[in-house]
Amino acid sequence: MSIRIGPDDVADLCRGSVFLATGGGGDPYISQVLVTEALKKYGPVDLFSLEDLPEDALVVAVGEVGAPSISLEQLPGGDECLAVIDRFEEFTGRQVTHLVSFEVGGANSVIPLIAAAARGLPLIDGDGMARALPEAQMMPFAIEGVKPSPAVAVDYSGGCVYFDVKDTRLYERQIRSFAMAMGGMVFTAEHPMTAPEARRAIVPNTISFALRLGQLLREKRGNAHALEAPLRELFLDSDFGEFRHLYTGKVIDIQRKTVGGFDVGEAVLASTIDERPPMILSIKNEFLLAKVGEQVVASVPDLITMVDHETTAPINAERVHYGQRVSVFGIGCPPHYRTEKALAVVEPRAFGFDLDFVPIENLPQGV
Amino acid sequence: MRVGIDVGGTHTDAVLLEGKEVLASVKHLTSANVRDGVFGALDAVLQQAQAPHSSIDAVMIGTTQFTNAVIERRELAPTAVIRAGLPSGELIPPMIDWPEDIANAIGRHAYMIAGGKTYDGFPIGKFDQAELDLVLDDIAAKGISLIAVSSVFSPSDPSEEQFLAERIRERIPGVKMTLSHAIGGMGLLERENAAILNTALLPLADKVISAFASALEVRGIQCPFFISQNDGTLMSADFAAEFPALTFASGPTNSLRGASLLTQLEDAVVVDIGGTTSDIGVLQGGFPRQSNVAISVGGVRTNFRMPDIQAIGLGGGSIVARDELCIGPQSVGYRLVDEGRVFGGQTLTSTDVAVANGSAAIGDVTKVAGLEPELVEQATLEMHRIVNVGIDQMRSSAEPVPVILVGGGAVRISRSLDTASDVLRPEHSGVANAIGAANAQIGRETELIVNYREKPRAEVLDELKDSLAQELLAAGAAEETIRIADVEETAISYMANEASKLRGKLVGDLEFSSNAPPTDAEPQECLP
Repeated sequence: MSIRIGPDDVADLCRGSVFLATGGGGDPYISQVLVTEALKKYGPVDLFSLEDLPEDALVVAVGEVGAPSISLEQLPGGDECLAVIDRFEEFTGRQVTHLVSFEVGGANSVIPLIAAAARGLPLIDGDGMARALPEAQMMPFAIEGVKPSPAVAVDYSGGCVYFDVKDTRLYERQIRSFAMAMGGMVFTAEHPMTAPEARRAIVPNTISFALRLGQLLREKRGNAHALEAPLRELFLDSDFGEFRHLYTGKVIDIQRKTVGGFDVGEAVLASTIDERPPMILSIKNEFLLAKVGEQVVASVPDLITMVDHETTAPINAERVHYGQRVSVFGIGCPPHYRTEKALAVVEPRAFGFDLDFVPIENLPQGV
Repeated sequence: MRVGIDVGGTHTDAVLLEGKEVLASVKHLTSANVRDGVFGALDAVLQQAQAPHSSIDAVMIGTTQFTNAVIERRELAPTAVIRAGLPSGELIPPMIDWPEDIANAIGRHAYMIAGGKTYDGFPIGKFDQAELDLVLDDIAAKGISLIAVSSVFSPSDPSEEQFLAERIRERIPGVKMTLSHAIGGMGLLERENAAILNTALLPLADKVISAFASALEVRGIQCPFFISQNDGTLMSADFAAEFPALTFASGPTNSLRGASLLTQLEDAVVVDIGGTTSDIGVLQGGFPRQSNVAISVGGVRTNFRMPDIQAIGLGGGSIVARDELCIGPQSVGYRLVDEGRVFGGQTLTSTDVAVANGSAAIGDVTKVAGLEPELVEQATLEMHRIVNVGIDQMRSSAEPVPVILVGGGAVRISRSLDTASDVLRPEHSGVANAIGAANAQIGRETELIVNYREKPRAEVLDELKDSLAQELLAAGAAEETIRIADVEETAISYMANEASKLRGKLVGDLEFSSNAPPTDAEPQECLP
């Protein structure tokens, strides 16, 4: 039976997405409001299982690209992501049959719901990241050789640009400069995929998983200690790997600066439950590396999530401050990131850390 | 001399200050007719100091009436809102996620028209007079004369809201408006919400401010009076009548400012220990550190600059559980005077522990004489531990900080604190709010999106300072006292063109003309 997402589910989906955003992804508030209204207007969306994808499918990723803090002021109109599908079909002369989200972590987990609801297109239960990552060439789409274009971007005025560029990094530069010229945020239809490509490049079941995760966090209120067991059980039943409690402590130092549009920094935690040495968390928009003393206990592409210890609410890396009582969880990434070609672009070295990737399940617990 | 008055839900406190010295302080019950409560407190404090009404240079009033009106959904007037920004935001109309009860109290009279600017000043939608006329016809037909006006990126460029205001005035004579750029920074929905709440409070503001004015007039006090606002500075009565929403959260702010005035400390952590909880806030440069998250007022998301306050579950009524020694967050609250041991009740509370360990002298000490010394000691340590943890979460680094204890429950913390370099327990701390209100500073702040590639940073900062300084001078600040209270720059992530959000705030001391016109009015008898 397929999973149906209605207006009342959007808040849970956003909550789960923020957990999977590993400290990045921004504040999904505006998207949550927008998508809730869209689903009231156009009706609910049924998630489409990747397994059922027909051979002649044309899957397109939709979402917003730009500076999330700008869209807190210049709100999306809501119809841009319908227009973007129309224009894509117009430009390419092909009919889009299925939609997919490119990032489950943050606002783009829910934005495709608008297009799916309004156009009556099936939305694939899955996404292109299974977390949040700062650059497009780090997505399994790119890793699996899916080209970003033909791609179409639509701005707030309905203006439209067609991209024909096969290199993901170049596409990223082009799309960002267009976003900057047009108010800071644009909507895109990109990374068109055939059925075999989609099956390879899409991480399955992440949207329904984010929804279940959000529901669990809402229903089972409690501190991070109490929620550890239910969370572990939930992650066991997913494409993610091992779920580990890494640390509970208090933030004793936080340093950050903005480098080239990225929030780069380091947070230091002191344990509040045992005598372990401090935990050091490295940040580049997301939490990328966790060490206890000198010992690495989790690293990108595995997921590192920080939550408020008392409420288990996920904490955005921008909001980390001295004195917070937090728990840190590590979660094995889906197998998509564990291949040799994937690790070449998402291993710690790709982020400037001088160390090899060791899967979380092979690392010591840090004791 | 200055009088500070704090109009709270239950008590109206008044203090008389000369410079920074507290000459007198009183607590008076708040009356249903606020004016009478103000009379009572004012007369009592002057009587205590043996000072004539004519000796007062200024009166400063802190009030929770506007916050309470929003929380209780009363005295909110029907208000329309017009947002210029289409085609952006079409699916997200004003008041979209307001709780039903408050939206119904104000009415969902929300309109959107073409307009707005991008972050770098390019027009989003094209203004259409016919479109505005239709909206105004509809508003006029509903008989609404209160309108909130918002437009996209108005904090960076307010000209569009100002233009709309002119057009609206032409069509609806006697209209009262709040332009969103005048009341909030970046974040369209939050700023717009603030403008709507403010507009809906305008009739109440008229009523309250004129009640204060007439109270002073009846007593023959001709000095200027001011209302305290959420950032710890003052606004003139006229300004407050236009921006009542700026009083939200002025209570905790005044408590922090009062603690600063009483101790002469500009940087410290303040712990206000009440009946059920303790509020912990941080003073930075004499002002409360502000919260950087969206603050909801009565369920409505706003971006008012509110003090960053952490409430912890320790107060005078906190219940002491003996097994596994645990204090709070359960509390007997106001029933302390019936249920606390020292008052003859059966429940062991933090107050009983404070009496037993000798740090407080309240109620009947014999009722707690039988407590095991070990329990009293452990409970005392536990209270200090709870406060220590709270302070630690609020301070901005691991350095020990000066800690100021205020509020009725301050006696509970009788020992030193690990987190504190010094623990201060100032006199008059029970009326810290009124003392905070009686400060004499005014402030102005603004928030912009700037691009240092287009204009050098130094030039941008100078322009910002000049324009804010001019506003302060006009509002009555002494020129030589004007200074920068805060400049905050935030780079906008995923924007590589050096766009930043810049927020600046200037403050200045009010100039009281020492040769104020003498008044002939004699102090009058207290009203019954």
